[in-house]
Amino acid sequence: MKKIPGILIGLFLFILSGNVWSQDLDALLNAETKPTVDFRTATFKSTRIINGHSIEQMKKNQLEFRISHRFGTLNNGLYGLFGLDQSVIHFSLEYGLKDWLMLGAGRGSLNKTYDGFAKIRLLRQSSGEKFMPVHLSYFTSVELKTINFPVRPAGTSNYFSSRLAYVNQLLIARKFNENLSVQLTPTFIHRNLVKTELDLNDIYALGIGTRFKLSKRLSVNAEYYYTYNPNSKSLEPRPYNALSVGIDIETGGHVFQIMLTNSQGMREGSFIPQTTGNWLDGDIHLGFNISRVFAFNNK
Amino acid sequence: MLVASVGATGQGKFIAKNAYISFYSSTPMEDILGESNEAVTILNTETGEIAFQALMTTFHFKRALMEEHFNENYMESTKFPKAKFNGKIEGYNSSVLSGPVIDIKVAGILMVHGVEKTITISAKLGLEDGKLVGISKFKVTPEDYGIKIPSLVRDKIGKEMEIIVKANYLPFGN
Repeated sequence: MKKIPGILIGLFLFILSGNVWSQDLDALLNAETKPTVDFRTATFKSTRIINGHSIEQMKKNQLEFRISHRFGTLNNGLYGLFGLDQSVIHFSLEYGLKDWLMLGAGRGSLNKTYDGFAKIRLLRQSSGEKFMPVHLSYFTSVELKTINFPVRPAGTSNYFSSRLAYVNQLLIARKFNENLSVQLTPTFIHRNLVKTELDLNDIYALGIGTRFKLSKRLSVNAEYYYTYNPNSKSLEPRPYNALSVGIDIETGGHVFQIMLTNSQGMREGSFIPQTTGNWLDGDIHLGFNISRVFAFNNK
Repeated sequence: MLVASVGATGQGKFIAKNAYISFYSSTPMEDILGESNEAVTILNTETGEIAFQALMTTFHFKRALMEEHFNENYMESTKFPKAKFNGKIEGYNSSVLSGPVIDIKVAGILMVHGVEKTITISAKLGLEDGKLVGISKFKVTPEDYGIKIPSLVRDKIGKEMEIIVKANYLPFGN
């Protein structure tokens, strides 16, 4: 092998060190930056996909005031202004006690129902230093119907406990990319009292929800709850699976959700087991959720 | 020679690992303040070169929603995780490191949201209570860095952001 003159080696090293020099500080900074866990945030825009909960939480010390409406069915026609003549309302206050714990209480006009819930974040989807493929949360609620009981035969009585229903859900979600998020929601509901012997006290259901972002502030959402109910065809009125499609519009501190749904109920205990509208018959309700978030951080 | 140049990269440098960066915008509708205490910066005391890096996700806000919108809608932090500055002190003389704080100018390239811009920043550098500190306050316009602000929220977000940087430097490698 031919001997390379020392001066060439020197020149080569000079060029090399010159190159290193300009990249130098950046490279040192890169080495100093600690590896981080990148949590996926904003998997959904709101704490609801449409009717059901999403894995999003109110962060610590943030309070959300929500108002939701579902109008009557579109097949009311012009006479009922496509359902706008009648509406049910639900409003609630929902608070982030911790970043992982959210509590809420609300009241809906359908069956004059009060409800309280807790949503607990168990896992967060992340990459980087720690890999986790999905978000996982647990949701539980109690619903109290305060509408007057139907008149009972003499000698029989009603109980307070008959007004209660309990909801348990696992929320499993993945943000596949900036635009697409999907959530699966296995659900178990227990109702202390049901209408007839054919109605089930224990309801098993599986929800699937998705959002697709059209732009930074606009997304299309869809949500379907399959409810296992072998008696559904013999019940009157017949329950259907809840199907909803809607859009989310974000305007700074508000998220505005507009939807079409076959359910007039806005809480799990009503829209999952007792949605009576059939999309194919035009039993479609126009509705909206609107929320305002208030921050209570001392800073 | 190789040994000498490798040795040189570790020497003559000061580092700050928990530098403070804030940006502030004020309008009659809303004040927005984002702060990070996790920026890193290195100063090459031989050449007067200075570099900053900050992860966008280290900026925190009073309102959780602001933080979410900052990362999701404006900075697109998944696509552009870091902001960087690489520059050089104009008319650098190493005596600034051993004297009281004086006004300096730093010219360089600021990269935000994946967009690089040449910028000259007024700053202060020098010893304060025996420690080397660097402080700067300057303004940037989000639109210059390809950050679009929709008309819907235009009256809540200022045309210009005031950036404040504070770094307490320590000798590198200590």
